[in-house]
Amino acid sequence: MTQVPCTHCNLTFSEDVMIIEDEHYFCCKGCQGVYHLLNSEGLGTFYDKLGDTKLQPAIQVSGDLEKFDLEGFKNKYIKEHEDGLLEVNLIIEGIHCSACVWLNEKVLHKTDGVMEATINYSNNKAKVLWDPEEIPLSRIIETIRSIGYNAYPYDPALQEERAAKTRKSYYLRILVAVFGSMNIMWLAVAHYAGYFSGIQQSFKDILNVAEFILATPVLFYSGFIFFRGAYYGYKNKVVNMDTLVASGALSAYIYSIYAMITQRGEVYFDSVVMIITFVLVGKYLEVLSKKHAVDTLDSIMGSTPTEVTVLKENVKSLVSVENIIIGDVIELKPGEKVVIDGKVTTGQASFDESSLTGENEPIYKKVGNDILSGSICLDSVVQYKATADASGSLLTSIVNLLEESIVKKPRIEQLANSISGYFSTSILVIALLTFVGWYFYADNFEQALIVGISVIVIACPCALGLATPMATLVGISMAAKRGILFKEATFLETMAKSDVLALDKTGTITEGKPSVLKADLLDGFDPALLLALVNTSNHPISKGIKSYLKSEYNVLSTLTLEEIKSIEAKGLSATYKETVLLGGNAALMQTSDIDIHMSTDSENSLFFFAIDNNLVARFELTDTIREGAAEAIKEIQDLGIKIVMLTGDHAQSAHKVATQVGITKVHAKLLPHEKAQMIDKYHEKGHVVVMVGDGINDAIALASSDIAIAMGNGADIAISVSDVVLLDEKPKGIFEAYRLSRRTFRAVKENLGFSLLYNVVAVPLAVMGFVNPLVAALSMSLSSLIVVGNSMRIKRLKFKDK
Amino acid sequence: MSEDVVILMISVSTLLGTIGLIALIWAVKTGQFDDHAKFVDATRFDNEEDLQAAIKLEEKKKERREEIEARKNYRPPD
Repeated sequence: MTQVPCTHCNLTFSEDVMIIEDEHYFCCKGCQGVYHLLNSEGLGTFYDKLGDTKLQPAIQVSGDLEKFDLEGFKNKYIKEHEDGLLEVNLIIEGIHCSACVWLNEKVLHKTDGVMEATINYSNNKAKVLWDPEEIPLSRIIETIRSIGYNAYPYDPALQEERAAKTRKSYYLRILVAVFGSMNIMWLAVAHYAGYFSGIQQSFKDILNVAEFILATPVLFYSGFIFFRGAYYGYKNKVVNMDTLVASGALSAYIYSIYAMITQRGEVYFDSVVMIITFVLVGKYLEVLSKKHAVDTLDSIMGSTPTEVTVLKENVKSLVSVENIIIGDVIELKPGEKVVIDGKVTTGQASFDESSLTGENEPIYKKVGNDILSGSICLDSVVQYKATADASGSLLTSIVNLLEESIVKKPRIEQLANSISGYFSTSILVIALLTFVGWYFYADNFEQALIVGISVIVIACPCALGLATPMATLVGISMAAKRGILFKEATFLETMAKSDVLALDKTGTITEGKPSVLKADLLDGFDPALLLALVNTSNHPISKGIKSYLKSEYNVLSTLTLEEIKSIEAKGLSATYKETVLLGGNAALMQTSDIDIHMSTDSENSLFFFAIDNNLVARFELTDTIREGAAEAIKEIQDLGIKIVMLTGDHAQSAHKVATQVGITKVHAKLLPHEKAQMIDKYHEKGHVVVMVGDGINDAIALASSDIAIAMGNGADIAISVSDVVLLDEKPKGIFEAYRLSRRTFRAVKENLGFSLLYNVVAVPLAVMGFVNPLVAALSMSLSSLIVVGNSMRIKRLKFKDK
Repeated sequence: MSEDVVILMISVSTLLGTIGLIALIWAVKTGQFDDHAKFVDATRFDNEEDLQAAIKLEEKKKERREEIEARKNYRPPD
């Protein structure tokens, strides 16, 4: 059978499963619908722009549109402009290429009432401005969904936007600084030439004034950051790098003005701009690698309903979550997320508690069982009585805990900061003493001042300022190439100091999804029938069987089943042309009186498949350990790091996995906040803890650890609270992250050591008065270059598999 | 070479440079470099159709402004 691409999404499928229309092929109704919609709207050129890019099939999402028009939503996400227009910030899901951006913008522009819609391709974020009198927001979202994308709101007044703003402000300041220093440099060339071969005072004056004009904006606009830093330092009684830079640059600047006016001595304007530019670039490198997204809680809170259905005297009504009181009866529909804790009063259903325990297996609940907020009702309608109000529910307390742990996340004092503090103080003191000494020794105020200033200028904070950011930036880019994303440069340093590694089990050490370990096939087994049956369910076991069938049998024809039923907590049943298909656990087989003449006793999950009440297959499924986990753990232990396992799973399976990968210390059956408590316990003992996890249940623990590492396809929340993301999800990445951070930290120490050594040599020379402007400028650039060069050496770190 | 020539050369070149710098700062401030991809795509996808769409959007905005204006100045006949 030939494989053909879908006209809309470009994914290829075999020809016979496609919907064929004229000469177009569609993989699903959704894609077909979008294709016709776009053509009728005159947006067919989208496909020319798309080229060969593959899209997600256009799955039509429906429902929950009303929530966009509710008052609670409006207060939270929508901003009203003076002229009555409303503004919302959305994240658009499903954008793959620039053609998608083009399409979304065009479609929104064509919608009546939408005044402005801009989408940023780099982060898929959109700003939409619309007139509420002409169109409600729900219609706008519906429009986006109708073309196969999805949109959800986010709050832009968060750290990410602030970080972007700081970056921009730094960038502007650097532009001015670079412009100023470049221009002063070529004026300085004339100056230096004149210094050696003689220059008329009148020309010298012209150069001085020109340099003065160029240096002024650099010092006061670009250098504002240092003055601000020095001011805060002064208020907190701390001498920091900013104090040194600000005082050095300012005193050199004032002295130069004095020299310019009195027409005596040399001006130091070039040194002023050099210092500002170099140190500013160093600071910018740090800002550049600051964490991108800290919009953590939005992903949880954005997906939770703001209203729930309450039953009062048999009347259903939508009530805002905040107004729920204990004792209210709430109705849950399949697919809904629980926001209020409670006890089931009528009905029964399976619940997905993966956000709380990390385990994917749904949990069956009947009358009298507790429902926890944060779980998702999977298969049927349930009524339950609230046992807590919104603020007392588990979900809210998790969110609160998370917020708290993010704010008070432990930060290890940075090495460079403490060094530069001492350094700055001593240089300032030495400069002052030099000035006093020369004043009494030479009895010449002017000369004493020059020498004093030259001490500060030659001390050259540039190399020291570049020492850390340069090395960490190289470290970060090296890590990124290996699929390890450090969100902030300083995390490398913290990670290098860590001595305890805490690992989550499901999804971190293991794959997090069951896969087939053993398959016993009997007569009459038809893989196509089984595939059709498991295709109807989203249960992890079904998915495991599905991927097994797909890898074992190349092409299976698609069959259409009838009377599909999902039997709670047991399995599935369906009919195909008079034959009855039954798939599920041993209990299902027993209730259907099917003779299981095979072992039902196993530590793994079992799945039986019967056709017309005859057992035809038995599968054993288990969560497999990730490739290379044991080796990576061994290598990390060899680095002298203690490894513990923290898991929400029960002790038996936790220990089984632990012994397989060589972890000796295991803490099992932990709830999300208990994991965090374990981390805190290690903190109390003075350990620096790295935590690796993937789920919402790990989020609090991740937030309270020193360094949080998340798996690339983990829950959004886990990724956003984490400091490091492993894109390829290999446990080996943890080991590599350790090695890289240790190597980078070593380079930082070397750089700091060098710049201190440089000062030990240069400062005494300056104190003795041997330094002239040319020497100062040359040595300044040279020392910065050495620091940059040393940092580049990190790139030579070798990994085994390369 | 007289002083005047040097002054002229320095001031003219610095002035030209400053104009360039100001243009660059303006572009950064108005967010023209925020989305690096859009910059390139704009030239790739540029066609008449898109210009029409942009004009329509402008018209839509203008219409609304006028409408508001009209509503503000509306006086019921007495």
